[in-house]
Amino acid sequence: MTKTYQKLRDLFGAEVLGLALFLIAVIVVFGVLSPRFLSGANVGSIAFQLPELGLLTLAMLVPILTGGLNLAITFTANISGLTLAWVLQMNGGVDAPTSAFVIGVIAAISVGTLAGFVMGVVIAYIGAHPILVSLAMMIFLRGLGEFLTHGGDISGFPEYVQPIGHGYFVGIPIPLLIFIVGAIVWHVMLSRTRHGFAAYMVGSNIQAAGYSGIHTKRTLTLVYTLSGTMCAIAGIIMLSRFNSVRVGHGEAYILITVLACFLGGVDPFGGFGRVMPVVLALIILQVLSSGLNLLGANQHLATAVWGLFLIGVMVIRWFWHRFAQKQY
Amino acid sequence: MIKRFLSPLLSAAIVAGSLTAAAAQDKPTMGVVVKIGGIPWFNAMETGIHEKGAELGIDATMIGPTSADPALQVRAIEDLIAKGVDIIGVVPNDEAALEPVLAKAMAAGIKVVAHEGPGLSNVDWDFELASAKGFGETHAELLAQKMGGAGEYAMFVGSLTVPLHNAWADFANAYIAATYPDMKLIGERYGVAESVDDSRKTALDLMAANPGLKGFLAFGSQGPIGAGRAIEERRMIGQVHVLGPFSPGQGRKLVKSGAISGGFMWNPAEAGRVFVTMGRMLIDGVEIGEGTEITGLGVVSPDMAGKDIITDNLIAINADTVDGLADLGL
Repeated sequence: MTKTYQKLRDLFGAEVLGLALFLIAVIVVFGVLSPRFLSGANVGSIAFQLPELGLLTLAMLVPILTGGLNLAITFTANISGLTLAWVLQMNGGVDAPTSAFVIGVIAAISVGTLAGFVMGVVIAYIGAHPILVSLAMMIFLRGLGEFLTHGGDISGFPEYVQPIGHGYFVGIPIPLLIFIVGAIVWHVMLSRTRHGFAAYMVGSNIQAAGYSGIHTKRTLTLVYTLSGTMCAIAGIIMLSRFNSVRVGHGEAYILITVLACFLGGVDPFGGFGRVMPVVLALIILQVLSSGLNLLGANQHLATAVWGLFLIGVMVIRWFWHRFAQKQY
Repeated sequence: MIKRFLSPLLSAAIVAGSLTAAAAQDKPTMGVVVKIGGIPWFNAMETGIHEKGAELGIDATMIGPTSADPALQVRAIEDLIAKGVDIIGVVPNDEAALEPVLAKAMAAGIKVVAHEGPGLSNVDWDFELASAKGFGETHAELLAQKMGGAGEYAMFVGSLTVPLHNAWADFANAYIAATYPDMKLIGERYGVAESVDDSRKTALDLMAANPGLKGFLAFGSQGPIGAGRAIEERRMIGQVHVLGPFSPGQGRKLVKSGAISGGFMWNPAEAGRVFVTMGRMLIDGVEIGEGTEITGLGVVSPDMAGKDIITDNLIAINADTVDGLADLGL
């Protein structure tokens, strides 16, 4: 028993193992409480709800790893979505050709990336605090978007946009596939590339990283730029899921993404944290919320359970560390 | 050890679950997704939903998202589809954003009833307790009377994306422009009226910037309350008039002190009851057409193409009626 445990722990890490056990516990409890919980419909519902939040969480994860924060994620996603919507509208709305969609996606990703790049440059080269810079960017993007759209919707897109938010590819929801690809790219970037290593080092101790020859400014700029790119992808998925874009769609997600990162064991001061546990934490949050909805519980209770869950995880983590230290 | 710390969490979930899971399984189920939970307007609607649900034998619940974000409504509806309810009711924050998920619900064989969403196309019926024209013009006329038919006024709506609020605002403005040429609208319309704080701040700012401002027309349940508070703070009662639909219990004091001059509303509890009544009719296969009588709406003449049932069931809120309405739990 102990041996298998150690093997599993060595393979996935204690964080992943703990969260996976918790996820199983949550699934068992809801499965017992509601016969519908394990139905295909519910699993499908969870699979469609996860990606937009998941991609935004990935966008939040990397800045947090460097000890920062990106408060502009949802509005960056909105502005990117608006860009795509605008390109589609310019080219005939419902009848827009596929080429317009491709150009729109490139434009949307460029806009998101640019927003991230500007934030990154200001944070890295001017040395302003990430919270202030991203807050400023958030307000700017929100104001800009509301000014351009007068707070209204842009809707009416070609038929082929729908499957990105609602379709299946070999039985797996397309948005989920996009999220899985995003998570794998993020995982590889953080664990296998030079940039990922530099991001961790900058998060642990930016001065030490600088003295060791890491180009900290370039690293920080790249971190926020990539965060912006990821927001743009989330924005495109949101566009197709809602079949419309408006500034303010998904506003409620900002704090949930931070919550998911911390639940996944990311150090709020930077330097530590991995993609896999964050993805698990996201799944747990979504399962808790969908499960409580299925039982007809109040939405505010779901929020309370999330909070309770975060506190619980922190307490467990503290005990876990003490327990682990006693052993060695 | 882990168990010890997880158990409070799990037991919380179990308690929450067993409270609701106990409900009978064979009754038809209905979920009504409203704009936001925990505000008096939708609390009253919830009472109506439960009341009528018990009467008609439908297991009806209301789901109020924690913030007025259409993304949260989409998630709640996805969960209802997964739950396999028979009827979904919705009071949309943003019509366009809900179309895909409502289409999904209808494809799953679920009946969809909407309220305050006349532009939705993926519904079986949308019902309104007030016509946009009647509602806008009745308010505009009362504002004009209070202001003596002249002066500057400002317009609040719940959000610039709530088409209904904007339709009221359009009709009110058109009516005033046609009937009272001496009245003048200040600025564009402000999308603050779903929040007391935003309405209060905006009203304070507008009064500071426009000394000639004599009236606020606020379409959105929190707008008159916020603007009324601003008037009270500035001691402008009697000089600046606030009109609009609001929850009487919440605005009772402000109406009595004169900070809110009055308004018209429909009864959210009645809307809740109509949701369930219509849900029952839909699953029983009752045809709704010209002259059908629906409890709570009266004899209706629906717009068959737009799938809208629009009626005028307005009640006036003023210093005389506010207590009675507030005692109804509104």
